[in-house]
Amino acid sequence: MPIGDFAFLIPLLPALAFVITFFLGKKMYAGGALVPIGAITLSFVISLLITLNLLQNPDQIVAQSVDWFGAFNLGILIDPLAAVMLTMVSFVSLLIHIYSVGYMEHDKSKPRYFAETALFTCSMLGLILSDNILQMFVFWELVGLSSYLLIGFWYGKPSAASAAKKAFLTTRIGDVMFLAGIIILFSDLFAIFNGFPDNAYMLQFTEMFNHIPEIAGMSAQIFGFEVSHLTLITLLFFGGAVGKSGQFPLHVWLPDAMEGPTTVSALIHAATMVTAGVYLVARTFPMFISAPDTLIVIAYLGGFTALFAATMAIVMNDLKRVLAYSTISQLGYMMLGLGMGAVIGMEAVGLSIFHLINHAFFKALLFLCAGSVIHAVGTHDMRELGGVGKLMPITAITMLIAGLSLAGFGIPGTIIGTSGFLSKDAIIEAAFLFGEQSHNWLPYIFAIVGAFLTSAYIFRLLFMTFTGKPRTDYEGHESPSSMTVPMVILAAFSLFFGMFTTGMFSRFLGDTFNFINMNLNELATSLGNYELLHEAGHEPLIILWLPLILAVAGLLITYLIYHRRVLDFSVSRNNPVYKLIYNRYYQNEILTEGFAIKVVYEGLSLALYHIDRGINWIVNAIGSALTEAGHMFRHVQTGVVQNYATAIIAGVSLLAILVKIIMEVI
Amino acid sequence: MNGITLFAPELTVVATALVVLLIGLFLNTESKKVLGYLASAGLFASLVLTLMNLDANAVMYSGTLTVDALSQFFKIVFLIVALLVSVASIKYTENNEHVEEYFTLVLLAVVGMMMVASSNDLLVLFISFELASISTYALAGFERRNLKSLESAMKYFIIGALSSALMLFGISFVYGLAGTTNIPEIAQNSAMLVSSPLGIVSIVLLVAGFGFKIALVPFHMWAPDTYEGSPSVVSSLLAAGSKKMGFVAAFKVFMIALVALKTELTMAFAILSVITMTLGNVIALSQNSVKRMLAYSSVAQAGYISMAFVVMSPMAITGGLFYILSHGFMKAGAFLVTAVVGYMILSENREAENVDHLENFKGLAKRMPISAFSMMIFVFALAGIPLTAGYMSKFVLFSSTIEAGLVWLAVIAILNSAISLYYYARVVKYMYFYPAEGERVSEPLPYALTLIAAVVGVLILGFWPEPFIQWAMEAANVLIAT
Repeated sequence: MPIGDFAFLIPLLPALAFVITFFLGKKMYAGGALVPIGAITLSFVISLLITLNLLQNPDQIVAQSVDWFGAFNLGILIDPLAAVMLTMVSFVSLLIHIYSVGYMEHDKSKPRYFAETALFTCSMLGLILSDNILQMFVFWELVGLSSYLLIGFWYGKPSAASAAKKAFLTTRIGDVMFLAGIIILFSDLFAIFNGFPDNAYMLQFTEMFNHIPEIAGMSAQIFGFEVSHLTLITLLFFGGAVGKSGQFPLHVWLPDAMEGPTTVSALIHAATMVTAGVYLVARTFPMFISAPDTLIVIAYLGGFTALFAATMAIVMNDLKRVLAYSTISQLGYMMLGLGMGAVIGMEAVGLSIFHLINHAFFKALLFLCAGSVIHAVGTHDMRELGGVGKLMPITAITMLIAGLSLAGFGIPGTIIGTSGFLSKDAIIEAAFLFGEQSHNWLPYIFAIVGAFLTSAYIFRLLFMTFTGKPRTDYEGHESPSSMTVPMVILAAFSLFFGMFTTGMFSRFLGDTFNFINMNLNELATSLGNYELLHEAGHEPLIILWLPLILAVAGLLITYLIYHRRVLDFSVSRNNPVYKLIYNRYYQNEILTEGFAIKVVYEGLSLALYHIDRGINWIVNAIGSALTEAGHMFRHVQTGVVQNYATAIIAGVSLLAILVKIIMEVI
Repeated sequence: MNGITLFAPELTVVATALVVLLIGLFLNTESKKVLGYLASAGLFASLVLTLMNLDANAVMYSGTLTVDALSQFFKIVFLIVALLVSVASIKYTENNEHVEEYFTLVLLAVVGMMMVASSNDLLVLFISFELASISTYALAGFERRNLKSLESAMKYFIIGALSSALMLFGISFVYGLAGTTNIPEIAQNSAMLVSSPLGIVSIVLLVAGFGFKIALVPFHMWAPDTYEGSPSVVSSLLAAGSKKMGFVAAFKVFMIALVALKTELTMAFAILSVITMTLGNVIALSQNSVKRMLAYSSVAQAGYISMAFVVMSPMAITGGLFYILSHGFMKAGAFLVTAVVGYMILSENREAENVDHLENFKGLAKRMPISAFSMMIFVFALAGIPLTAGYMSKFVLFSSTIEAGLVWLAVIAILNSAISLYYYARVVKYMYFYPAEGERVSEPLPYALTLIAAVVGVLILGFWPEPFIQWAMEAANVLIAT
């Protein structure tokens, strides 16, 4: 039996684990942790076997589907893109689950924790292997729901409850756009098929991609501009991705999401929720590549987010917040990589997903290390830390490896380097080519400056946390092995994964869209007017080396400032630039207080409130009238059987008259 | 297969009924528990036999009986409901000395319902109708020391007798006008019915006769009293099973025999269905007895299903049939939950009255989580929340109504669904948001099993409706083709 036949178990097992742990976890060992661990192990094994099989037989894509209702189906599609995502998600999630056994040891609500993380994993795996956009949306929403539950895991804390609400509401803006995109797509396909198709499933990726040229041909007038439906749909899809993947300006929920347990942060920021947006764009990339305007938006917004978030990461004093902004910044790089489809065509998917996978390893590791520090020391304010390296050598070394990978250390022009180096540099190089070709230099400048800041903030974090002397009194010890073992495994991946897979990865992902039998690069050239480059590597030497030079510069400067304290960088707290960045560009003031509270709540909402009160009165009046009517009719129901019989006879007579009248009228 | 073998399911049930009655004579009260298992096994065997013959198609015994997709569809609905009820009754009849009578009556009622589904002649239909009715009259009064139960049975019986008389009166007019009681033959002569004023009278009398079982307003008044007073398991059989018998009879008579009167009937049914659903929902708003609330909700649901008689398009009948199937699970399940709650309250206090009062549902989620969760699913399904059977049924039925151009009717039905959400959600509020008043009670296995089975049914129909809709469509084709 081919391994693909077991694909349905990949999301199903964690789903079962969710049910079992939720209801029976209390009575089990470690709050039922072993159930999701076992389930996800199996999911991982199946995913891995499918991936290995695909590596050997690139044509053995798993594609199964059954009728759902109407012209929609439930289905599984595992091509190389989905396969690597499945393997990575199940693997990282598995390690985080194992780590959680130690980390959550003292928490009373362990069953709820493990049940919710299992649900989260199930939703993410389901999202990845969906073969149609509708099913994907269902899982997309499930991911949102379970992240809401997990961020608000300690719902007793008001800050956690409000962070969960913020995450939910902010991503909801993206979700609505995504849904709007699906609706437009649906109506377009409905028009193209001339109704419901007989022998095809609507909204299946195959059908969507096969009709790209027709959709591109439809256009709508928006504010006087002629906009192609394809551009509209892809922009709306991208809007969904902006919300889920924390791109500017919908990134505000992500730093607050740190209110959950650190393991949840690792799960959300590394393996699951935030990558869903990037995956959505990658999954529907044939549509994006045929919509040039959208692709430019993605490139600019991705690059901008990469830089913007990095500037904020450099002034944060909270371990987890630095990492949160770092995640936003790295997601920006992934989006930027996808936006490079304009020069490198479909290879952009491989480029971006490669960084996504590497990021999953080193970012999960960073969070787990941070969790390990917090678990031992009890604080996550870096100003109170220092010298933790001596107490926790394994944590210090693994976190250093993750930091090197994030900062991008390696030897340009070769395949020797940390995972993060190999994938991030490829994106930056692509951005350079993009600039050269289209003279849009901004994305490249964003990316390269971001690279410098990335190195600076991560080494600032490492120096402040692990070196020097403790700044407050605390005692710590190395974490238990259930926590360190996953860390060491992830460290190995952060260091070596890139080196072993770099060439293979893009070749493998190159086969991703083979299932639709179209030459997508050709489609891109015809609809997108791109001139695709088929050879890379002709960049000047300085361009190749620049990211590394900047990374080293970042390391040196932070070394001098935070370790040797040679440079005094104590900027005045009143320095306007510092204040601007430290206050996170006043986003909170502008977006939350200014826009949300002043404009939406006080302005719009109060105005509507008065209208609504009128409507409300009517609704209430209807409600009470109905209830009154209910009470009144109740008296008709006397309980006296004679009355009932009378009602029947009267009913018969009236009915006879009624039918007679109808007959006369007709 | 043909001839008698096609009636193997009915024969199995009859045989089980006789065996249960006979064995019961020789058993002492403690060991009578086995009878419940026996009855359930018989029903299960019958269900399997029916499933094996799903696509049978035959007319036999001088054209008095027919086996086709429609009859098989309804038989399966009846058998599923009966199976749920009978498994749950194993607990209900525990330590009762009249177990054999109880199960025999249940089984005979089911045989009656199944025969109605198969009848092809008005007289056979009437006799089968009576077999089911008389068995359920006795069942409603099964708690012979409970005044409420007796009162409910008495009312049910008197109104039932009156309705039977009306129905028989109607049948006699039809026979007088058409010269036959055979349903397809009436269809051929139905032109005569249209031309005569007596035709109207006969139809109205038949509507009253079936409307009694369906609980159409104004023939519904017995239903709340009877559903409330009868043992909950019996209410479950009445609301989920016996009500459907009214529907299958109405489908056969109005859509096959009296097809010539289609246009006249359409409007009358439209008015009846609007009044029925609105009145049912509005009264349900103010009920504090859960069983009474469910009874009115059941009246309202009858109103929705009757929309199939108004639209009469293949899709609408499919929707009506699918609704009937879904309703079997939802309503049977909901009444069984009241049975479990009644069991819980009575086990604490033998003398308790009004055991189905909403107050007794407070904090049910803590006290009996399985029952509370099932109840939540059932009431949400009844209200038509997506991913449940109720939603899909309403979706198919209402959309077919819109397709047929009867937008006003669909709007009224949808508004009604909105009203109904209030009283359904209220039950959930009591179960989940009020503190529990008492200890956790372990749920008896037979009850828990049936509830879980019904929940699974509701969810499967809601999540995977396609094959069942297909099946309902085949059954609907029987009505359309003739």
